[in-house]
Amino acid sequence: MGNSISLKKATVAFDERFTLTEIDWSITPSQHWMITGSNGSGKSALAAVLAGMGEITTGQISGLPKNVGLVSFEAQAELIAQELKKDDADIMDVISVGTPVREMIFDQCADPELATQLVEKFGLSALLDRAFRKLSTGETRKVMLIRALSSKPDLLILDEPFDGLDVDALAMLQAHLETLISTVPMVLVLNRFDEMPDFITHVAYMDKTVIDKKGNEGKNDAGHLTLIIDRQDKTAFNELYQLLHLKTTDLNIPEIDAANKLPELDPSQPLVCLKNATIKYGDTIIVDKLNWTIEPNQHWQLSGPNGSGKTGVLSLITGDHPQCYTNDIFVFGFQRGNGESIWQIKQFIGYVSTSLQWEYRVSTSCRNVIVSGLYDSIGMYSKATDSQKKIADEWLELLGMKDRADSPFNKLSYGDQRLLLIARAMVKRPPLLILDEPCLGLDDMNRQLVLALIEKICAGSETTVLYVNHHAEDRISGIEHYLELVKKQ
Amino acid sequence: MSNNYFNTLPLREQLAQLAKCRFMDISEFPEGVDALKGKKIVVIGCGAQGLNQGLNLRDSGLDVSYTLRAAAIAEKRQSWKNATENGFVVGTYDELIPTADVVLNLTPDKQHTPVVKEIMPLMKKGACLSYSHGFNIVEEGMQIREDLTVIMVAPKCPGSEVRAEYVRGFGVPTLIAVHEDNDPKGEGLALAKAYAVGTGGHKAGVLMSSFIAEVKSDLMGEQTILCGMLQTGSILCFDKMVEEGIDAGYASRLIQYGWETVTEALKYGGVTNMLDRLSNPAKIKAFDLSEELKVIMRPLYNKHQDDIISGHFSKTMMEDWANDDVNLLGWRAETAETNFEKTPAGDVEISEQEFFDNGILMVAMVKAGVELAFETMTAAGIIAESAYYESLHETPLIANTIARKKLYEMNATISDTAEYGCYLYNHACLPLLADFMKDIKTDVIGKGLSTDDNGVDNARLIEVNEALRSHPVEAIGSVLRGHMADMKKIV
Repeated sequence: MGNSISLKKATVAFDERFTLTEIDWSITPSQHWMITGSNGSGKSALAAVLAGMGEITTGQISGLPKNVGLVSFEAQAELIAQELKKDDADIMDVISVGTPVREMIFDQCADPELATQLVEKFGLSALLDRAFRKLSTGETRKVMLIRALSSKPDLLILDEPFDGLDVDALAMLQAHLETLISTVPMVLVLNRFDEMPDFITHVAYMDKTVIDKKGNEGKNDAGHLTLIIDRQDKTAFNELYQLLHLKTTDLNIPEIDAANKLPELDPSQPLVCLKNATIKYGDTIIVDKLNWTIEPNQHWQLSGPNGSGKTGVLSLITGDHPQCYTNDIFVFGFQRGNGESIWQIKQFIGYVSTSLQWEYRVSTSCRNVIVSGLYDSIGMYSKATDSQKKIADEWLELLGMKDRADSPFNKLSYGDQRLLLIARAMVKRPPLLILDEPCLGLDDMNRQLVLALIEKICAGSETTVLYVNHHAEDRISGIEHYLELVKKQ
Repeated sequence: MSNNYFNTLPLREQLAQLAKCRFMDISEFPEGVDALKGKKIVVIGCGAQGLNQGLNLRDSGLDVSYTLRAAAIAEKRQSWKNATENGFVVGTYDELIPTADVVLNLTPDKQHTPVVKEIMPLMKKGACLSYSHGFNIVEEGMQIREDLTVIMVAPKCPGSEVRAEYVRGFGVPTLIAVHEDNDPKGEGLALAKAYAVGTGGHKAGVLMSSFIAEVKSDLMGEQTILCGMLQTGSILCFDKMVEEGIDAGYASRLIQYGWETVTEALKYGGVTNMLDRLSNPAKIKAFDLSEELKVIMRPLYNKHQDDIISGHFSKTMMEDWANDDVNLLGWRAETAETNFEKTPAGDVEISEQEFFDNGILMVAMVKAGVELAFETMTAAGIIAESAYYESLHETPLIANTIARKKLYEMNATISDTAEYGCYLYNHACLPLLADFMKDIKTDVIGKGLSTDDNGVDNARLIEVNEALRSHPVEAIGSVLRGHMADMKKIV
């Protein structure tokens, strides 16, 4: 085996449309990698960099092998395009048959013996004389694989190699790759975790946007290598599995049945309207004459430093602040202080915060935690109905936590607890979802998980999101309205 | 001096009132807070119960304001701050009482007579006066204007918990009662139920009782097992351990946190579960000790119950009130001087199980106290439900106050009435147990049984288990805890 490959803060541009930014990565010859991540995050681009593609704008890349075996949709498309060009280039008005498969495979073949075996195993023997461009997609894919495998490569890059292969071919290919593990380092781009072969030693996780420690996202047209996970690290591995599940499966926010449905709100009225809202303790004024209206489907970000009254303003809305009775507050059709109960208010709000997580110290099951969102309670004081359990189970499925439905909530990891509390907040499909620093205290992976879930929610429901953060400059995509509070002197 | 109301009733009526207590199902509250909707609720007093109940009632959509003495408002005392900072309207008795449809008297027992005398003439015709303890009506014989409805709503937890449980969507077990002599419009029960719903109590379980059953059982529980037994037990166990050479810091910690730990097991699964936490030999030991303790202490429990029923207890206590609390304050100072109180808990780690293993005598004392209080109350005509709540159910709450700040915190948290009774119990119980304590060694308090042999006689173990499980407090306990099965998970 050859040298280590190393990328140091490498930024690589592809066609000006897409950039991989500041990639730090190294591959030693004994490792086999899987590159995975969300759609459009640059997985294929990263693999292509190893094959020498793209333009390095900053940083360094060293140790790239000379002979790379590459199979990818892009390379496949390129080959087919070349073949079609041959046809276009014909000026003789004679239909070109194009290059036959035999030539595609055996011209410049480093290991014709292996190629012959593979042709047979892939069932291409009868097609050898057919024109390459006449083959089906699956057949051209097989030709590509045979070319790469029989080229005696120093590095084998297989981008979604299992896509479009029939069951037999898939098994054959997997078995063949197994025979290569001690001779050729491999990098596989795979979207689905369950396709990961056993020999993979490391996982590189890509994301299209960078999420920094404060939970805000960066630009949307760049790819990043956000996480590198050693397969030996079981915890990280399981979390990544969950993250991919969230990112790559087609998720629908579970519906709510009639028995648990909220009353309809008048769509012409604002969700929230604070007029001259003031919070004061003794002579200290925390919030001074704040006017704020939140219309339906108007996503807001509320920011401000500690002590600027963010939590106070939120609790005026949720009804948790005793001074909501001395202010002019209209929420969800109620002018506060006219005989409504806080439960009539809270039913319209999904709420997630770190302090909620601290308060939620109950040994109840994960399923019950989700169901408790239908009651706005911490824990359950009555038994969940079958239909409520069903909705909760759909959420657990969505979170990739189906296996933990009956586990006690307080035994979950911190990040999983946060995910579950978001599901709890969303289970009733509230008109307003308040996320009070939802990523606070979470590590990279869990931040990714939480944001992936929030993204799903923003995209897939009619819930208005109120995102609360320390810093005004930390922005989340999809939010167009901002309110910044300043600390009173 | 006032007339004891209970003593004016014929025996038949006394027994009927004592036997009142029924656990109400949540399905019995379909009207929610309707009976109080649109009514003006004025709370007298803004301490922990007053403020937190008011916050809950307001959050349930009710109209709540606070009335304080003119001086408390003028001087901006803590009660005034509590109410105004939470956005409540605050006014003097003269300003607010005449506007009130319902007046909640949440002042300390001792102030009831002067407060009620002052507000009664100001109250609207046909309004409702609510108490959270029946002492004023039952023991002091306060006569309430005939046109007024008199009810009681008593959450069975400290004020802070009343609020915390409401905020998380629950409530705390609550006792309600109607004073039948003052229910001119027959709306007392509806108002009491609505009030219980307004504080969230209906979700945790409401006990419908009577003023008399509440007072007579509450007094009995608090002065015997709840406060008295824990105080006496703390003093005796500590002194014994130190006498036997156990490190005073360790002894102090074992007791300060031990009551809380062992009664936590009691809360979840009754006396049976508390003893099941011990090894078999230790369980048999604890059982034997508690049987012995029950024989020694039974006359004392009987005396307390007799004095409570006859009114002797309240009479002597009210004499002390009239005498500027000379006894109470003297005894309070005495408690501060006990060795247990003066020895801070040592910086040693004690595991949860070790509190049981090394505190066999404490377990025995709790068992003896709970069972004696329950047996004595039910023998006096108090129904098992009431007796359960006023003995076993509340013991962990009091134990928790000791864990916070020893006996000082316990006596500061409980009412003056409970504190007074606690000292009476302690003074009588200490000498009563003197001989018993002579035979006590560190195997049952401080060190635990030697673990050489964990063997026990089968027949004896079966006998002990059977006796534990068949006690009447266990039978009613399993029923009531079953009602609160979901609560159990979170409290």
